[in-house]
Amino acid sequence: MNNEATYWIALAHLPRWGHLKINTLIIKFYHENKISIEEFFNLSESQWRTDYQLDEKQISDLLQAKSELASNAFLAESFFNQGFELIPIVLPGFSKTLKGNLKATHSPAVLYVKGNKKILEEKSIAIVGSRDASEIALKFTDNIAKLASKEYKVVVSGFAKGVDKQALDSAINYKGQSIIVLPQGIMTFDSGFKKYYSQITNGDVLVLSTFFPKAPWRAELAMARNPIIYGLADEIYVAESAEKGGTWSGVVDGLRKQRKIFVRQPTAGEKNANLLLIQKGAVPVDFDGNVVSKAYNTTINEQVSIVQEPNESESIDKKIRSAFNGRPLHANELLAKLGMDWTVKKLTAYLKKLDFIEIVKEKRTNLYKLKGSGDSSQQTLF
Amino acid sequence: MTRQEAEKVLQQRFKLPRFYDEQWETIEKIFKGERVLLIEKTGFGKSLCFQFPATLFDGTTVIFSPLIALMRDQVKKLTALGISAKCINSEQTSEENSQIINEAKSGKIKILYIAPERQENNEWIEATRQMNLKMVVVDEAHCISVWGHDFRPAFRRIINLVKLLPSGLPVLATTATATKRVEQDVAQQIGGNISKLRGNLMRDNFKLFVVKVNSEDEKLIWLGKNLEKLPGSGILYTGTRVATEIYSKWFEHLKISSTAYNAGLDPESRIAIENGLMNNKWKCIISTNALGMGIDKPDIRFVIHTQIPQSPIHYYQEIGRAGRDGQPSYIILFYNTEDKKLPEAFIEGGRPSIKKYEKVIAAVKAELLGERDLMRRTNLKQNQIRIIKADLIEQKIIRQLANKKFEYIFDAPALDTKAFEELRAAKTKDLDSMIQYVETTESRMKFLCDYLGDSSNHTFTNCDNTGEKKIVVQVTPEWTEKLQAFREDYFPELTVESRDSNIVNGVASSYYGVSNVGSALHRSKYEGGGDFPNFLVSLVLKAFRKKFGQEKFDLVVYVPPTSSGDLVKTFATTVAQILKFPISHNLKKQRQTSEQKVFENSYLKSDNVKDAFTLSEPNEVNGKSILLIDDIFDSGATVKEVGRILTTFGAIKIAPIVIARTVGGDLV
Repeated sequence: MNNEATYWIALAHLPRWGHLKINTLIIKFYHENKISIEEFFNLSESQWRTDYQLDEKQISDLLQAKSELASNAFLAESFFNQGFELIPIVLPGFSKTLKGNLKATHSPAVLYVKGNKKILEEKSIAIVGSRDASEIALKFTDNIAKLASKEYKVVVSGFAKGVDKQALDSAINYKGQSIIVLPQGIMTFDSGFKKYYSQITNGDVLVLSTFFPKAPWRAELAMARNPIIYGLADEIYVAESAEKGGTWSGVVDGLRKQRKIFVRQPTAGEKNANLLLIQKGAVPVDFDGNVVSKAYNTTINEQVSIVQEPNESESIDKKIRSAFNGRPLHANELLAKLGMDWTVKKLTAYLKKLDFIEIVKEKRTNLYKLKGSGDSSQQTLF
Repeated sequence: MTRQEAEKVLQQRFKLPRFYDEQWETIEKIFKGERVLLIEKTGFGKSLCFQFPATLFDGTTVIFSPLIALMRDQVKKLTALGISAKCINSEQTSEENSQIINEAKSGKIKILYIAPERQENNEWIEATRQMNLKMVVVDEAHCISVWGHDFRPAFRRIINLVKLLPSGLPVLATTATATKRVEQDVAQQIGGNISKLRGNLMRDNFKLFVVKVNSEDEKLIWLGKNLEKLPGSGILYTGTRVATEIYSKWFEHLKISSTAYNAGLDPESRIAIENGLMNNKWKCIISTNALGMGIDKPDIRFVIHTQIPQSPIHYYQEIGRAGRDGQPSYIILFYNTEDKKLPEAFIEGGRPSIKKYEKVIAAVKAELLGERDLMRRTNLKQNQIRIIKADLIEQKIIRQLANKKFEYIFDAPALDTKAFEELRAAKTKDLDSMIQYVETTESRMKFLCDYLGDSSNHTFTNCDNTGEKKIVVQVTPEWTEKLQAFREDYFPELTVESRDSNIVNGVASSYYGVSNVGSALHRSKYEGGGDFPNFLVSLVLKAFRKKFGQEKFDLVVYVPPTSSGDLVKTFATTVAQILKFPISHNLKKQRQTSEQKVFENSYLKSDNVKDAFTLSEPNEVNGKSILLIDDIFDSGATVKEVGRILTTFGAIKIAPIVIARTVGGDLV
């Protein structure tokens, strides 16, 4: 895949294309037409026009990107030589959580990372909040990071001051694992790599960016990074938010995307917008992250794999998804539908590990359903 | 473009009549955007295979070349033809390089030569993004392969770069020296359906001789007697820098014009020597293998080796520069069975112990370190650190970042020592083959061609086994005396001058390991043998006269001891008395230092003596010229530090003189 890196960098940063347009193109050439990105770039202009319905502007963008491939190779070599890696969206190593949360509409086409990539496969939580958070918000952050680390959940944070920094430092302190999501290109983070040298070489920290590797920090990038933090997390905790700014708009955006977001229940007299977020549909939690009120009714986003993978467990997962028709099932009902020769015990153990399955208690038995509103599973996107 | 059309352009632009078939074959492939590995002998015209298409592309061709001298030379030639060519290298100022980078960005340069190490430079990487790149050339492509004779880690990155280049961009790799194994290795690493073109490598204008001798003296004597009789000018390769110096002084003694060239020279001196060679300024250049490849001089008439190279491929590469004009050229190899020890030592001792590897791994694991800090943490020699780091990078255990620091790789594999053993076995085999070249009774050219995988049915008559007269050394008393006189009159130089100090280059009375000087020092210093013997005093006085003549110094200062008591004080007092210079006993240590010999590298040696000295009579040296005496000169760190201190106290000249200078850490 490294050999195709220059093509991926070119495609991922086509100017003003947006994630959806790029991902739609990837779905088309990679999944439908089953050609490599190199082959796609080597198609003629007329093939781009007729087979891919690209307009003249798009074709000219692609031609421009193609002409820069050789030059980009020099950058890519330097990138790899320094231990950075690139994960295109079509590869299994790409975060499934991110794909599931952001879908083709919002998923970046590549992730640039350095460190232990396996961290992307773990259960994860994000803790977000203001840069100038209160003492209690920082303590909450510390506590949630501690609990998460105990449960082997990865703490995702944005490397800003305040809550972000606290989340990272606490996770490190409690020997947990973390993902740092950068508001800049990954090749411009020298001081951070120096600071977290031992955590990165030990495999406890993964640094991740979705921006052009050499892009310097910019306010827009910091904003654009927020959805990536939310997208990488299975659970989102808000320590403290003001009524405007990055945290606020990030949470509002998350709620609009139907994410379940936990907000620290503020104590009386706190000056922040936590309550406002709860009113908007976020879920209030106490100091230990336990839900304090059941008065919510939000739909939870389903987790959808948007990669086709040939391995066995993946196809079992697919079968399981399609076995549901909107209603919760007993394990033995499900087993019958699947027609597999597993024991009920094996299946229930397996189901508990799946991140798209939710357990519903009915009297004293467990029922299983797809996470989310209970509708049928969505087809693989790409 | 047809060949006919191309040759028309060739005549106009390059003033050459036509292409050889292999050249045109290569160029056609380049026009088609293919990847080609071209193996042709020196002088074939490989450069034209990329220079010609480069002039027709509407963008820049980048050529990675490890040889600065060659880059300079080719740029000069292309510029003379009116083709815009430049090179970026470490011997130019960064302003010059930046200027060239800017020209390349704005599309003003057709052909750009750079060293592979440039890929480590941020400014260059930034610039490439704005360049209109049309072709990539890897010159001396054998450097890619660890199985070649000149593997260079920086080429590893070039391979990675080539792999990332888009399909359809032409890539040409060239070399004059590749065995089949190297050829396959290079082709496989470059990948992308590369086609291989191999020409024949025989050079029938060579006259090949092997001269078996029984001592170093016999080599010196034969050369003293016969060098002037050889036609034209040429190159003499030695095994070590010290040998380079000795041969150079020997020729100087005999008034044969020669000059020494080694990797330690500054760029200006190198350029001056390269230019001098081009203009036949000297009968011969004496060099370690730092030179040899970079110079495009068609009429080098002889290449002589006083030391057997590590393998036939090294040898073929080094003699390859002779006789590019096709005229007869003398290729002479001296061999004394003792000589095998040097390449053997390179092979055996070339690789540091596993323990040292582990030391480096542990240090890098603990923190992000640059080379200097790594040397300080591990107390290893620089050359050892460099070998270790290259191996560890190769094995993906550490990596070197853009800021030059070393980083431990997460999830790195364990050190694979098997790879080292394989490589050592291969090198031992290569050395055996080189000895076979010496011993063979058949055609020597055929031997080399076979070794390179170039099987030829040609009948050769160009060596001392196939018609040329054998060379036999005859030692006469006259020449033995000449050599003796030279030896007694030869004193190693101490090169210590620097901008921020008034110290000047000094002299040693002998090399430590040569003659009986080292053992005499050792007896006095470490075996309780009493004061330094008198013969050392007269030797030092002789060295003084040779270097400084009748020069008067205002004051003698000696380096205060670490552990060997008053040996140097007594010695310096005697010397001062004889020379009738006043002596000062006021240079003092202001803190305890360790003996320099426990430190393996110059950084730790410098750290050890840094600010260690002071003068108890601060005004004593002000405005004076100082003769500085010490017993042994190793890295020079102590002498340089004292020079610095005396300069700050106002000394106007500090001239060091020592009893012995070590050769590459032979101090025990």
